[in-house]
Amino acid sequence: MMNTVILSWVTFIYLAAFVCYLIRIMRGTEFWGRLATITASVGLTAQTVALILRWVESYQMGIGHAPLSNFYESLIFFSWTIMLLYLVFEWRIKNKSLGTFVVPVAFIAMAFASLSPNIKNRIQPLIPALQSNWLTSHVMTCFMGYAAFAIAFGLGCMYLVKRLDQGRANPSGSFLRFLPEEDTLDELIYQSVALGFVFLSLGIITGSVWAHYAWGSYWSWDPKETWSLITWLVYAVLLHARLVRGWRGKRIALLSIIGFACVLFTYLGVNYLPGLHSYLQS
Amino acid sequence: MSNKKNTLWSFFASVKLAIALLTIISIASILGTIIPQQDTAESFVSRLSPAMVSVFDKLQLFDIFHSLWFLILIVLLSVNLIVCSLNRFPVHWKLFHHRPDPDAGDSFENLPADRIILVEQPPHKETESIESLLKKRYKGVRRKDTEKGSFLTGEKGEFSHFGVYLIHASVLVILAGVIIGFLFGFDAYIEVAEGEAVDTVQVKGGKGLKKLDFTVRCDRFTIDYYEDGTPKLYQSDLAFLRNDSLLYQGPVLVNHPASFEGIRFYQANYGKTPSNEAVIMLQRGHEKAQAIKVVMGKAFDLPGKEGKATIIRMEENLMRMGPAVKINIATGKGNVQFWIFQNIEQIEAENPGLMDQVPMFNPGVFAPYVFSLAMMQTKYYTGLQVARDPGVPVVVAGSVLLVLGFMIVFFYAHRQVWIRIDRQGINTRISITGKTNKDPVGLDREIQRLMGAIKKAGEKRS
Repeated sequence: MMNTVILSWVTFIYLAAFVCYLIRIMRGTEFWGRLATITASVGLTAQTVALILRWVESYQMGIGHAPLSNFYESLIFFSWTIMLLYLVFEWRIKNKSLGTFVVPVAFIAMAFASLSPNIKNRIQPLIPALQSNWLTSHVMTCFMGYAAFAIAFGLGCMYLVKRLDQGRANPSGSFLRFLPEEDTLDELIYQSVALGFVFLSLGIITGSVWAHYAWGSYWSWDPKETWSLITWLVYAVLLHARLVRGWRGKRIALLSIIGFACVLFTYLGVNYLPGLHSYLQS
Repeated sequence: MSNKKNTLWSFFASVKLAIALLTIISIASILGTIIPQQDTAESFVSRLSPAMVSVFDKLQLFDIFHSLWFLILIVLLSVNLIVCSLNRFPVHWKLFHHRPDPDAGDSFENLPADRIILVEQPPHKETESIESLLKKRYKGVRRKDTEKGSFLTGEKGEFSHFGVYLIHASVLVILAGVIIGFLFGFDAYIEVAEGEAVDTVQVKGGKGLKKLDFTVRCDRFTIDYYEDGTPKLYQSDLAFLRNDSLLYQGPVLVNHPASFEGIRFYQANYGKTPSNEAVIMLQRGHEKAQAIKVVMGKAFDLPGKEGKATIIRMEENLMRMGPAVKINIATGKGNVQFWIFQNIEQIEAENPGLMDQVPMFNPGVFAPYVFSLAMMQTKYYTGLQVARDPGVPVVVAGSVLLVLGFMIVFFYAHRQVWIRIDRQGINTRISITGKTNKDPVGLDREIQRLMGAIKKAGEKRS
């Protein structure tokens, strides 16, 4: 099980990357920023290799399937999409301060997967319900959406921190001067929510197609389905409020945080409610 | 009257209403996942006081997603969606058709320095080359030459104004598909034992039985396991018949339903049921007990010719006391009927005196025989979800439109650029400005690229 060994190392690499981003934002020295990006990229590369190894290993065991089939694998994939999307964002906006807010989410997902005693990291064969071509596209689109929302969440936190500081009598000016301008943050929140919204919609659509073939109904009000709809509605409210009602800044940042809470409940909380998706519990 | 109509119209045309409705529907949905719904509500109901139960029941909180008030919310949202779209459409239609004046006037004043290029080429030559460059990148390029200078404009992505209407329309199409499915479709369940055939299904939600105009037979049910014991395969081999003639035969697996005459059959469940064969032991007085293989419905003579015995029922688990068969013994004096259990010792130990109180359960009621059940053959039955939903193609069409709409809304923007070419001293001055309906950052980047191209074209010529 080479892949799980690599993955437990990746957990620590992401922790190191987070520490580097943190030092960078405290001190403002470019050295730490470059080190942070390099560490994060090394972690992502190692994680990609581990995912491919795990995929290959499952074929060697004769139960070949994409590593997206149980809770352990979904957590690993969640952190992988967050890091991938984050590094793309960092490269596009040329600002490393977002790393301090987003990389810890990827680290926590990895740590949870590697350290929680209840999460099996074995490669398990696919039960009949999961033997579908829709598994890969459904999981991938959903998690791309989750990752984009995680980034919007990080940006929302940055916005609020910056706003809170400006409200004070003498703005500290310490690390906050490295955060992007408020308008830029607001625009970036919108862009990442839009991206997440498209992917979440695709995730719900592919899930419905799958449900149509597996359960005989494209929509059954299963708790996970319902919560994905709730999440969709919350982000729909955010987009309409911004595009039509002209909401900006604080309220949008707050909505991006509420939205991400819904994402987390859809992903994790729902497993404690009874429903058709319950095979994810193990 | 018209005033009233206007207030109603503006009520439904408000985006505030849309945001409020989306929020209320979200909260209702959250309740629907917290309060146990439909069949799962039973154990929850037992913990509530009767008064609470009646309140919950009146508010249809045990079936929120099929309740009248939830339906009303969806209808309100649909009306809101339609009115909002109709209300705003003319604005976008105008923006789509509007051909702006190439002279953007004030927009050229106070431009930042990075939006201005100075070149040595004479203005008319520069205008020609920029016009041909614009035509490669934009539609509807127009030019105006005045004393103040030459003006050019071009635009692209005008259709992006309609993306939002496509999204709203697709949501309505999806809802229409749901309604079609609700009105003309059904959702049912059947259990068919191996070798048996069924032509009536149980419609879900307590809506009674529905007769199909064909028969479904289960020829075989198969379970397969991986080495570690995880289930690998559930498969029913089905046959569809009408008037005893076989019309279609095929397997049904999880994720691979079978479809016959527009009705889909899904692998949903399975279990075991008695077949029609059993082995019973019978002991006559003090003679040696003998095993007899019996087939349900087939009469056999008792060894002492006291009568003819027939197994008339077989149960996998009778009253939670395990496998049992019911036997009928016809003698010259009439019929005797009683049950023969497999776990008789255990039943007697757990229920002392039962055999005397209930002669039907007494294995020795037909003296001098004592019966017992040695073995009962079982076979699988398959549980199939049976559904027809003519709304599915409509929902699929709506989903495709939805994705298309997203592409247009999020990845295209209506971008217009204006260029002024005039003299400044001995140089030719090129000023560029632009306008977009969304993504100003993208427009900035595009204008930078356009300026790069103009500069490059100028360098090539000189």
